[in-house]
Amino acid sequence: MISWKLFSLLVYAAQWTVLYSAISISIGFVMSAGICSATLSRNRALAFAGKLYVSFFRGVPLLVQLLLIYYLLPGVGLDVPSHVAAIAGMALCTSAYQAEILRGGFASVPRGLVEAAEMSGFSRLAIFRRIRMPIAVKLTMPALISEAIMMLKSSSLISVVGVVELTRMAQNLAASTYKPMEIYTAAGFVYLVINLVLVALGYGLEKKLRWGRI
Amino acid sequence: MSFDLDLVLSFGPQILTALAITIALWVAGSGLGLVLGFFIAVARRYGGKPVDTLLMLPVELIRGTPFLVQIFLLYYGGPYVGLSLDKTVAGLLGLTVYGAAYYSELWRAGFDAIPKGHLEAADCVGLDRSQTMRRIILPEMTMLVLPSMVNMTILMLKETAILSIISVPELTLVVSAIGTEYYAFVESFTILALLYWGLVELCGAAGRHAERRLSKYRFSVS
Amino acid sequence: MSLTPAIRVRGLVKRFGQTTVLDGIDLDAGRGEVTCLIGPSGSGKSTLLRCIAFLEEATDGFIEIDGEPLGFAAGPSGERMRLPQSAIRPVRSRVGMVFQQFNLWPHMTALGNVSEALVIVRGMKRRDAEARAMAELEKVGLSGRASHYPSELSGGQQQRVAIARALALEPRIMLFDEPTSSLDPELTGEVLNVMRDLAKTGMTMLVVTHEIGFAASVGAKIVFLDHGKLLVQGTPGEVFGKPRHPRIEQFLDTYLDRGAATLL
Ligand SMILES: Nc1ncnc2c1ncn2[C@@H]1O[C@H](COP(=O)(O)OP(=O)(O)OP(=O)(O)O)[C@@H](O)[C@H]1O
Ligand SMILES: [Mg+2]
Repeated sequence: MISWKLFSLLVYAAQWTVLYSAISISIGFVMSAGICSATLSRNRALAFAGKLYVSFFRGVPLLVQLLLIYYLLPGVGLDVPSHVAAIAGMALCTSAYQAEILRGGFASVPRGLVEAAEMSGFSRLAIFRRIRMPIAVKLTMPALISEAIMMLKSSSLISVVGVVELTRMAQNLAASTYKPMEIYTAAGFVYLVINLVLVALGYGLEKKLRWGRI
Repeated sequence: MSFDLDLVLSFGPQILTALAITIALWVAGSGLGLVLGFFIAVARRYGGKPVDTLLMLPVELIRGTPFLVQIFLLYYGGPYVGLSLDKTVAGLLGLTVYGAAYYSELWRAGFDAIPKGHLEAADCVGLDRSQTMRRIILPEMTMLVLPSMVNMTILMLKETAILSIISVPELTLVVSAIGTEYYAFVESFTILALLYWGLVELCGAAGRHAERRLSKYRFSVS
Repeated sequence: MSLTPAIRVRGLVKRFGQTTVLDGIDLDAGRGEVTCLIGPSGSGKSTLLRCIAFLEEATDGFIEIDGEPLGFAAGPSGERMRLPQSAIRPVRSRVGMVFQQFNLWPHMTALGNVSEALVIVRGMKRRDAEARAMAELEKVGLSGRASHYPSELSGGQQQRVAIARALALEPRIMLFDEPTSSLDPELTGEVLNVMRDLAKTGMTMLVVTHEIGFAASVGAKIVFLDHGKLLVQGTPGEVFGKPRHPRIEQFLDTYLDRGAATLL
């Protein structure tokens, strides 16, 4: 077993994992709304660009994306701290996944609900904001939560570009204590707990939306 | 910043070898994971409550933790419990176990999605258990789970990149090493991204093709 | 009192690809009257209603609402011209529609469903809009269910909320597409009663229905659609009274049990 002191260091580092993931997932969500509307746009070029974006960022391993950003940004004269590059990389990646999830959600919004809004005189924008978006989000809530969990786990990869978070801390501790077995097990345990909290939050969120089935 | 493609292309043979290793790891890891996952799913479904609970634990542990941490545990922690593995072997083992956990959940979802009536019908016409499995459950389920299986298999390809972190000589490691050594980041990472992207799109297209071919088995699930 | 009908349809054609669903429909719906559209399944009733609601664009022909062209107008030499969106909106806003599947927005309460358009489209203050909406819910007997979500309401209640939602926007014309077809028989009555009350207020209504009893008692005019053509129209007495058109005879036989048909 590892000492409480080591474990508390892991827990301490976990806050960065949570923070970076939360920021990336939130930024990614906002971006995904835009990307999703681009893919659904009537403008051919815009729709194509959106699809290309989704395809690329879902088609390339996050690790490669992170390396790409980490090494590319200085090359174009953008000298950003590594954690900013990491957040950018994660946000780009998750935005593509979330956009794809949302697209599926929009496709399953019953047509009649949109027609009812048209009959009530809603503008296209109002229909998007007040009808299609909330329903699509509700329909895709479980998928969005799993994406958030996926992203939280993937955030371990930003350790590779030198950002200190849970996995990086575990690596450091494993190297200095020669107890990789115990340290990585403990780190895994911390990830598990965070995920369980996320699952519970998601469950609570879904219950809170009283409007139930569609 | 210039784009020196020739430099990277001059490493063509090395890159192709690394690509082959990536594909080999991917195919082997997914294939083994798929099979192992199937047995886990069958055991959990038909093995009774204790087996189900016993198997749930590792499956959820693996699904709840990052692949990178699992690989670190296996590769760096393993030797402390007498499990010293070559990095590529560790990588493949890790990938297989990781995949098995996810695939088993997809198989389980597939089992659950088959309408009870179909099994009862099979029972009525006198098929035994293994016949029912081979003739009814498998074909129907393949159709149902195919899209999510293809997705998972694509994910497996992307996860192989993580093996570069424990220095498995696969695509990401080799190409980024070339990039770092010759200061050709843009070229190498662009090539790297394009190769993965191409493979993923190829796999996705194959999946869609298979779906169309299999669609004669389609039935509606309400 | 001008004689322009509330709805005037001329030469309406609607094709989906190769199939002609509406094949030259001429129809007038009198102001303040209830016009009932009946006909076998697939005859094009919904499509006609949806064209009048402009949810579907007709392939050819003209529709006028209160004498104003909807969507398309005849140009100087009689050619069909599409009107700009700005000209479509005001005409369309005179029409309210009630759907077979209710189509209440699941993420809004009954009150929200009725008040939303008043806020979003009419620019009313939320509080005023809710007061108006409450009055509309009162009319359909559902003020007690204002804070319920659609999933917490029975089918009949949902349909009454949907009617209140359409009425809140003060349409001149109400379209109903089989408003009771997805309801249990015991819930059908409460919706039909609301519609009867609405008819008494002098609302112009165009109702697609299989409720022949309702059509015969409330309808000023019955229109029988068959294979995209308007086959028979007239008062309930003319359409249902004997001798009947053979297709109507057949329709009544197929769609109702014989006993009910002979009662008419
Ligand atoms: N969007 C569409 N695309 C292609 N065909 C359509 C479409 N909508 C309707 N149709 C066809 O048009 C015909 C008329 O449909 P419509 O829904 O208007 O019939 P209906 O009289 O309302 O029937 P019901 O009583 O079953 O509601 C049908 O044959 C239908 O298949
Ligand atoms: Mg219809």
